[in-house]
Amino acid sequence: MTDTSMPSLRQNPRPRNSRRGRGTLVAWLFIAPALLFYTAFVLIPISMTAYYSLLRWNGIGAMQFRGLQNYLTVLTEPDLLTTIGNAFQLVLYFTVLPVGIGLGIAQVIRTHLGGPFGTTARTILFIPQVIPLVAAGIAWSWMLASNGVINQLLSAVGLGGWTRGWLGDFDFALPAVGIIGAWVLLGLCTMLLVTGIAKIDPTLYEAAKLDGASGWDEFVNVTVPGLRQEIGVCVTVTVIAALASFDIVYVATGGGPGGVTNVPGLEIYRLAFAHRQVGLASALAIVLMILVIACILPIQWLMREPRK
Amino acid sequence: MGVTSLKAIGVVAALSVSALSATAYAAPTCGADPVVLNSYFETGFPLPTRLAEEFTKQFPNVTFDIKEDQFANLMENSPRVLAGDNAPDLIRLPSISDLVVDGLLKNLDGYFTDFGWDKFPASQLVQLRINESGRPRGEGSLYSMGLNYSLTGVFYNKTLAAQIGMTAAPQTLAELDALLEKAKAAGIQPIQEWNAPNAGLAFPLQNLMGAYGDPTPINDWIFQKPGATIDTPANLQATQHLEKWIKAGYFPADANSLDYGANMGQFIGGTGLFLFNGDWESGNLDKQMAGNAGFFLMPPAVAGAKHAAMSAPLTYGIGAKAKNADCAAYFLNWVATNEEARKINVAVGGSNPGGPPDLPIPAVAPGSVTEATLTAGNVLAGDNGAMDFIANATGAIFAEGWTPPLQLLVGGRTDAAAVLKAVQAEYEKQLAR
Amino acid sequence: MSGTATMKHTSLGAFAARGILVLLMFGTLLPFITMFSAALAPSGTYPPGLQWPTDPQWGNFVDAFIAAKLDRLLLSSITIVAFVVPASVLFGTMAGFGLAKLAPRGSQFVYLLFVLGLTLPLEVVIIPLYYEMQWLGLLNTKFAIILPLIGLFMPFSIFWMRAHFVNVPAEISEAAEIDGANPWQQFWRVQVPLAKPAVLSLAILQFLWTWNSFLLPLVLVEVPLERTMAGALGAFQGQWGTNIPLLCAGSLLILAPTIIIFVLFQKQFVAALLQGAVKG
Repeated sequence: MTDTSMPSLRQNPRPRNSRRGRGTLVAWLFIAPALLFYTAFVLIPISMTAYYSLLRWNGIGAMQFRGLQNYLTVLTEPDLLTTIGNAFQLVLYFTVLPVGIGLGIAQVIRTHLGGPFGTTARTILFIPQVIPLVAAGIAWSWMLASNGVINQLLSAVGLGGWTRGWLGDFDFALPAVGIIGAWVLLGLCTMLLVTGIAKIDPTLYEAAKLDGASGWDEFVNVTVPGLRQEIGVCVTVTVIAALASFDIVYVATGGGPGGVTNVPGLEIYRLAFAHRQVGLASALAIVLMILVIACILPIQWLMREPRK
Repeated sequence: MGVTSLKAIGVVAALSVSALSATAYAAPTCGADPVVLNSYFETGFPLPTRLAEEFTKQFPNVTFDIKEDQFANLMENSPRVLAGDNAPDLIRLPSISDLVVDGLLKNLDGYFTDFGWDKFPASQLVQLRINESGRPRGEGSLYSMGLNYSLTGVFYNKTLAAQIGMTAAPQTLAELDALLEKAKAAGIQPIQEWNAPNAGLAFPLQNLMGAYGDPTPINDWIFQKPGATIDTPANLQATQHLEKWIKAGYFPADANSLDYGANMGQFIGGTGLFLFNGDWESGNLDKQMAGNAGFFLMPPAVAGAKHAAMSAPLTYGIGAKAKNADCAAYFLNWVATNEEARKINVAVGGSNPGGPPDLPIPAVAPGSVTEATLTAGNVLAGDNGAMDFIANATGAIFAEGWTPPLQLLVGGRTDAAAVLKAVQAEYEKQLAR
Repeated sequence: MSGTATMKHTSLGAFAARGILVLLMFGTLLPFITMFSAALAPSGTYPPGLQWPTDPQWGNFVDAFIAAKLDRLLLSSITIVAFVVPASVLFGTMAGFGLAKLAPRGSQFVYLLFVLGLTLPLEVVIIPLYYEMQWLGLLNTKFAIILPLIGLFMPFSIFWMRAHFVNVPAEISEAAEIDGANPWQQFWRVQVPLAKPAVLSLAILQFLWTWNSFLLPLVLVEVPLERTMAGALGAFQGQWGTNIPLLCAGSLLILAPTIIIFVLFQKQFVAALLQGAVKG
């Protein structure tokens, strides 16, 4: 039983024809429980959402078929369009900030993360990823209050004119929510990028230095391409977090003031369970799902390693 | 033998008749078996919990499983909670119209008869009635009960009032304006009001509406009578007056991020001369600002005119699917009629306990805020100026109708006319659903 | 260490790097520090920002513990995790093995179906899940959280374990087959022991996601004591949100178990989180 005697099995590890029938059954038995739960609690619900999106229903009484009317509402009603716009604005904070800052930090500290100091740093920077988002929302609500730490710090550095109730301010509530998300995701992105950058062949950096490249050139030509995979992951995770955000907004602003921080996730919840407009909520949910896929697919495609 | 048996038959007959009549006229009770009343109350209002404690003292077999939530969550969660399997026996209901349409609330007409609530003044129960189709309110079956009958007006800080030389309550709107100006000039926060997450500015606004106009059109709008509108000339004047106050800087700069609890904390802590709020805070203020808090009814625009103010019961209902509906109804009746309960109602709730008019109103400490609010309640009743809360017109009018434009008004991004138009538009949209 | 850097560069670079890291760590910890100082203020007051109170009210933590019924809450969350994580890991490993090693016809399609679920926002399915749980009579019970979570975790579990199994050389399966083992025995005696690191990472990730799950308990379970810790925190905020010191004390207590476990097992956690993100 050596390599030479069974080349076909090596390349094609399937049961032989004669045993295929029984093998197939066993194989499906392995897959069955997962498939069962997935179907029952994900696939069927998705199709139910799609079905509800075609109705006018208050969750208790009769259902009325409405065709694509709900989708029309989602795409034309200003309040709902605002929520989608807000979700994309959050992407700026949830994605661009952590990735951008993370890249900069990774470049600077790439060789200095060893030892107990590095371990401590890693542990602490990861804590935001470990706590529930609700807790982050509560903690930051407190910090952003009129008499909270952020205003204290601003006054301390002489920017007292800027103090305000951040989460109640029409202009700054959404950025404030964005900052909370950035805080949650920064540690993850930084660590990902730092770990990734450690995998970049140091000789590339040496070669760049020998060519007289500046720090910036190094960054653009060596670091960023080398981190393609990790950047892709950061962007994917953060974009999904931004578009599907619920926990933080629910706890920090509840969508206010005046709806400037309202996001699709929160609106779906409200429409379905507080306003009893299940059809419209479902339509918004389907639209959200399509949006997420539409954003993630290009990122995944861009992230593929070019075949060498 | 014959006589005895005849007597026996007579006794049995008499007993059965009395038994029959006993069952025919016996109101529901909580029985003798252990009962747990599933209750959903509002955070920050200790009254129902205190009443529950007293009830358990008097009826040890009944205990309460109390869950509390903030006003905004209560509004949001009540449809779902009432439709679920664990429907509350007692639930605080800011607004009932949507819930009645969906059949989520128990019709209380039966209890009305059983407990003899027809002895209560009819005007007390008017706001609790609603047509089965969900509108209009003010007529039809009884779907909720109040624990007491609150009113709103203006609380003031006596120390700060003395600082600006305020010796008596203002009798006209102009006098109130003058006091506000004096406070601002003296560096005192004129009005301490919250505007997040729901617009607390609805309180001063409605008080101004009452100062300018007749409460009837406003009540019609709240009760969803056909053709009613909030966008009336008198209301526009009131909203413009509010805008004037905002522009003059009488409200806290961070009102849009100030919530109810934080705001009360500020007022009790001594910031703010005036606070537009309801007498459910009287007990709290008597305790925490003993002797330093006063109250007056919103003065009318024209001297000597009638007063109008929001006066509504803090309403509680029984879930349609509640498991202990009878016991819950018995509790509601007990609150209005039991002597101990009425005392707690006044002391903790600060409001008129309602109920049959022949029952005495428990005594209050002279000079207390509670005394002031109870007296004001009598004045208001005399002027027939009770209005329901404009935020209760529909289930979502507060969150979706009043709050966004009022928050924008505080932020200086809209004007008075636009506020009323926005609210009326949202009102009509919701009614059309 | 960069061999070509001069001593000066290293120390300056090291200093700058450490400085930045310290700043980041401070920024990360600041919210917790503020919550801690607020938790020690007298109950019911509104402490101004970061300020060590003159009279620390340690009792607030006790009050919060009792108010939140933290002991029962802990038990509830542990129970939920005890159901979700083993089931999800087991089913994911089995399916991952089936898809990677046994690969029956049509399994490619099934795998794609699972992968589609990787980007699914929870809000898309929360509405039907509510009615489904209502129909099953499970609303307000722990199983309203447990069952859907297992289903929702399937895409990631399978993705993760399949990725592991695909990298296991075929010879191992062949050797087992030749020894006469059927696939089930192969699975348990050979593959699973090999997969331990992957399984451990997966379990850690799913423990975190279960523990921190918020929207699902919020909608499907009314009773705070039947929820996860994160879900109960939402209810705690609703009930006590106007009492800042109590809210902060309660939040910190609710966060404590997660953070303690994290610090104890930080190496495994960090590795798991990093790998999880990269493979996801």
